[in-house]
Amino acid sequence: MEYVIIGNGVAGISAAESIRQLDADGNITMIGDESGLPYCRPMISMVLEGTATPNQLPIRKAKFYDTLNIAPIFGERVTDIDVGSRTVQVGTAQSVAYDRLLIATGADPRPINAQNQELKNISYMRTSLHVANMLQSLAGTRDALVLGGGLVGFKAAYGLLRRGLKVTMLIGSGYPLSLQVDQTAGQMILKELVAQGLKVKVGVEVTAFEGQDKVEAAQISDGSKIACDMVVIGKGVLPALSFVPRDHIEVDLGIMVNAHMQTSNPHVYAAGDVAEYIDVARNSRWVNAIWPEAVSQGRIAGINMAGRPVAYAGSLSRNVIRIFDLDVLTGGLVTPPHENGYEVMSAMHAGRNTYRKMVFCDQRLVGFTMVNDIEQGGVLMALMHHQIPLTIPKEALLDTRFNFKQVMTHGAWAASPKAA
Amino acid sequence: MKKVIVHPERCVGCMQCMLACAAAHSKTKSLFLAVSEKPQPKPRVHVGVGLYEEGFPNRCRHCNPAPCQLACLPGAIFRDNEIDTVLIDPDKCINCASCAMACPFGVIRYHEDAVAPPGKTVAVKCDNCYERRQQKRIPACVEACMVAALTFETEAAAMKRKTDEISRSVSTGAETAALSPGFELLNTLKKVQIEMRNP
Amino acid sequence: MNKPFENSTICEDSQLLLQKAARDQIETVWERHQAQQPQCGFCEMGLSCRNCVMGPCRVDPFGEGPQKGVCGADADIIVARNLGRMIAAGAASHSDHGRDLVDVLGEVGSGNGSGYQIRDPEKLKRVAAEYGVATDGKDDFQIAAGLADAMKEDYGCKQKSITLISRAPAKRQELWNNLGVTPRGIDRETSEMMHRTHMGVDNDWQSLLLHGVRNALSDGWGGSMIATEVSDILFGTPTPRATRFNVGVLAKDQVNIIVHGHNPVVSEMVLHAAQSEEMLKLAESKGAKGINLAGVCCTGNELLMRHGVAMAGNHLSTELVLSTGAVEMMLVDYQCIMPSLATVASCYHTKMISTSDKARFPGMEHQEFHPENAAETAMTVVRQAVENFANRGEAFIPVDSVDALGGFSVESIVNALGGSPDPLIDAIKAGKIRGAVGIVGCNNPKIKQDHGHVSLAQRLIENDILVVDTGCAAVANAKAGFKMTDAAELAGPGLQEICGALGVPPVLHMGSCVDNVRILVLASALANALNVDISDLPIAGAAPEWYSEKAATIGVYFVASGVFTVLGPMPPITGSLNIVNLLTEGLNDVVGATFAVEPDPEKAAILIRRHIESKRKALGLPAEDV
Ligand SMILES: Cc1cc2nc3c(=O)[nH]c(=O)nc-3n(C[C@H](O)[C@H](O)[C@H](O)COP(=O)(O)OP(=O)(O)OC[C@H]3O[C@@H](n4cnc5c(N)ncnc54)[C@H](O)[C@@H]3O)c2cc1C
Ligand code: SF4
Ligand code: SF4
Ligand code: SF4
Ligand code: SF4
Repeated sequence: MEYVIIGNGVAGISAAESIRQLDADGNITMIGDESGLPYCRPMISMVLEGTATPNQLPIRKAKFYDTLNIAPIFGERVTDIDVGSRTVQVGTAQSVAYDRLLIATGADPRPINAQNQELKNISYMRTSLHVANMLQSLAGTRDALVLGGGLVGFKAAYGLLRRGLKVTMLIGSGYPLSLQVDQTAGQMILKELVAQGLKVKVGVEVTAFEGQDKVEAAQISDGSKIACDMVVIGKGVLPALSFVPRDHIEVDLGIMVNAHMQTSNPHVYAAGDVAEYIDVARNSRWVNAIWPEAVSQGRIAGINMAGRPVAYAGSLSRNVIRIFDLDVLTGGLVTPPHENGYEVMSAMHAGRNTYRKMVFCDQRLVGFTMVNDIEQGGVLMALMHHQIPLTIPKEALLDTRFNFKQVMTHGAWAASPKAA
Repeated sequence: MKKVIVHPERCVGCMQCMLACAAAHSKTKSLFLAVSEKPQPKPRVHVGVGLYEEGFPNRCRHCNPAPCQLACLPGAIFRDNEIDTVLIDPDKCINCASCAMACPFGVIRYHEDAVAPPGKTVAVKCDNCYERRQQKRIPACVEACMVAALTFETEAAAMKRKTDEISRSVSTGAETAALSPGFELLNTLKKVQIEMRNP
Repeated sequence: MNKPFENSTICEDSQLLLQKAARDQIETVWERHQAQQPQCGFCEMGLSCRNCVMGPCRVDPFGEGPQKGVCGADADIIVARNLGRMIAAGAASHSDHGRDLVDVLGEVGSGNGSGYQIRDPEKLKRVAAEYGVATDGKDDFQIAAGLADAMKEDYGCKQKSITLISRAPAKRQELWNNLGVTPRGIDRETSEMMHRTHMGVDNDWQSLLLHGVRNALSDGWGGSMIATEVSDILFGTPTPRATRFNVGVLAKDQVNIIVHGHNPVVSEMVLHAAQSEEMLKLAESKGAKGINLAGVCCTGNELLMRHGVAMAGNHLSTELVLSTGAVEMMLVDYQCIMPSLATVASCYHTKMISTSDKARFPGMEHQEFHPENAAETAMTVVRQAVENFANRGEAFIPVDSVDALGGFSVESIVNALGGSPDPLIDAIKAGKIRGAVGIVGCNNPKIKQDHGHVSLAQRLIENDILVVDTGCAAVANAKAGFKMTDAAELAGPGLQEICGALGVPPVLHMGSCVDNVRILVLASALANALNVDISDLPIAGAAPEWYSEKAATIGVYFVASGVFTVLGPMPPITGSLNIVNLLTEGLNDVVGATFAVEPDPEKAAILIRRHIESKRKALGLPAEDV
């Protein structure tokens, strides 16, 4: 059996490990354009911040590929897939044949529309290389501009603040992380960041950069200008699938997969940031570009590719944001559309500095936000993931004392056909 | 292999297991001295409260596969197959709380700890008393629990005991007496009180 | 969705103030109760023993773990020890309170009681006669001195039995004698309980519990009874008077002083100072329209009974009253004063003053009251309160007060009946009143505040059962409106008729928690009039929301005096089914009454009605099936 995996991110390596567990003899080839050991992508922001060193990034031991007997092709990009002859095109010259193919190419930063992006010290933040480059230029910089209040923009801003830079953040919506957290939590985060010295401008974007060789200023859509000697672009990501033949493999925003992580072509699988599957909270297709999803999907894909049919319950978004003394957890549908009969309950406890908001659809929990006292987040996630109808008062979930036992008492877990 | 097995129906909520667990994970290993240690030792088992104010000793199930392990960003969570235990490497942990969102039982806490680098907040959970096990001692919580709500035995032995209990209670002539009629009585009354508060 | 805090309390004022407290980030007893969950099952069941340092020990109720303490004590012994010490603590509290009053009586007798007087010289003489203190040719002070000395003997160990036990029906006294539970000295029984529960002394659970009975009786017919009688002598025997209840009694435009605790020795003096010309003038000069003294808990009840002073709330309201921000000063003496209070007060301008050398609290200013300086100290603190008026911020007094009639001592009830208990007995015989029930005791966050008291009282009066109440139960029922003169409308037809004729409400406020002895005296009077024992009467007791050791002791002396008593929360005894069975069944053969435990007041009402009808039947009175 010839297994080929494109992408040596965490989805790719989780798949490889699962395949190897079930199939000791099959040939596994991994193709990736980032060379070297698989690493913890989220930690690159900690390298920027200075709380982690680059040598802490790898998530597998040096002999990982050898131990699992994987043939690596690194530093090369896949440019095409021929589903007819079942080969992938690597670079311009090389082609690799497969019986089962996994596309785990993750995502690329969403590009922006502004002039003079080629100036020095303007950077995306997706790879360890990006951060290495930023660190190189850090010494001479004082004023950073961060574009986008999403997860990456937020982490970049946070890291640069902690490095002692003056940071201005431009966000399209009214508060940072608007896709991840609800308004209340978003405002709490904003307040905290501002208290730590962040400058924030909302509802504007950059139209052009200025500078000789390095960036010196940015022109803003409201006509103003912001002086800066470093720019980080963090306006979200898009699935990295430019090489995918759309006439043979169905693509929506991401590559569409079924519960076995299989694409519309039975020999081809997809997992991680590049894949699109049913989101259990939204009950519709959605790309959840987050690490734990990439791991789970990679694992499911690998098991299925090795011939054991295992279905995935569905994906679910979740975020953990910890800044200074604020811990924010969100899961599922955080800000539901009002029209569709969602029920929202929230509780704020000023004394303990906690906030909880639960979103229900009938008797099911479909989303939540919690600020501080976050330990029970996983219990809520499990309730959502297994779509367990609640048999206890919904208010109980707002109480910080809520715990596993309270759902167990009422046999909710036993009663659910989907419970593991 | 012997494991800690939880019998929630017996838990009386005394929190002795928490004290013992914290002490077992302190530097001094003595409850009296441990209270003044820095960082303060903390328990890995948490006696939560059920809807009827009953105690519930909540500790890591050492799941396989472990959701927390899958979710851990830097790969700090790993399984020690020899003792069938999911462990967290405090040096690797980046305190991202990704595992908080993964553990379906809510057993992971985040704090400074005697086993972690000084001043560093890390994820902490039950390690099946790794250190005590090396010394051939049973887990501290089991030792502390006077009502056998926590036992240390093989799964097979626990199963057999449960089966025996059930078959005894259904065999003809057997009294269907509660495990402890007094505890049952107390709980019935508490339930009435609680239902009056939350109709 | 439910009203906020509807699950915590039935009282509108508490619900609204809990919302305010949450906004003001004040932690309340309810939150701390939640934070304590789960509570330790060993202790809840009475199965842990800390009486020695071979221990502490606990017994596994499931039979798997240890079944005996290090000394060998089994579950029965450990539960009995714990219950015994609980009774001793309750008896000690009431009786020590009584002793403080006897001290004042003695000081007054010897002329050192500045500001204190003999307000009921007639009662002084009556009680002196019971004590065999000579009254002929003596003035009140001499009698007071003699009586105080005689009462001190009751506390000691020279006597075979305490004096006031003679008030019980002869049959009851005989029963106690035969059982060997006649209390000999008040302190002696408490001391002996501590001795018996020391490791290696009394290890027969039945004998320990019998001593518990004796210890409780030493309170009910001793320490508490002395407290009540001496209070009446010093401050006047209560007579019916109009008053008001709930947080609405606080005045927006006046200096608000709250007295909290139990002993009228302090609050009476504070009241006096607050009504003085000098202080009223001072208040006026500070822009206040007057000085408004109100009570919480039993010292409030004491003032209410004798002066009609209004009550702002009961036990669970004590923190909330402060969170109005309208209280200039809270003065506390002792018992049931949560150590959290000063923390709450610190969020507002409220001054907290502790007054007793034996009761200190974190964050409170200590101004000790003694008989010889009480009048002066009272003026000092009231002045501070008045001066604090200027510091008041925004006040939140969310409700209007409820009117009520209070002040029913046995004397005033008999008075209302026209001088003898006969009309009451006739009404009971005729079935217009089926019987009488004393609802007593505290609040406890385990029960929705006042729900137990109010639901039970309502069911009972609806069924023509006269309710008398004391302590926090009395405040609960008053807040619910059961003590307005027209509350008789809420009662069944028979009770309504009698109340209407006498002009009294269907629920009679009999005072503070030491005043439970008034209920014993009333019961004795009824029993004597019918020539039966107390246990033959169609009466019962209930403590639907009790929390304190004092309440445990009250329960035991009620039952030991022959009164069937229903508890709301379970005492820590379920670790020994032997003891549960003894208290809920076996005691009937011993003292003619038992305990029942029933947190649900609806069901408790049925238990009580059933009991009352069965007693009626046994007396040959018309009875109904319940
Ligand atoms: C700064 C930052 C912080 C983050 N923080 C968090 C966080 O806190 N929590 C969280 O859950 N998630 C976080 N994420 C997201 C998380 O890193 C991703 O969801 C996860 O890495 C996705 O894994 P993957 O394997 O699907 O894709 P990737 O990790 O993107 O791996 C895909 C690999 O495929 C390679 N590749 C792409 N195209 C080709 C091609 N054509 N040929 C060959 N190779 C190709 C890429 O170079 C890459 O190495 C963060 C991301 C960033 C950038
Ligand atoms: S020691 Fe045992 S009974 Fe006590 S809380 Fe822990 S598990 Fe429950
Ligand atoms: S921490 Fe939670 S998820 Fe991880 S092994 Fe333990 S119980 Fe399972
Ligand atoms: S907090 Fe630590 S153990 Fe938990 S997921 Fe993050 S790195 Fe892993
Ligand atoms: S096994 Fe050890 S570490 Fe785990 S909960 Fe028990 S005492 Fe704590």
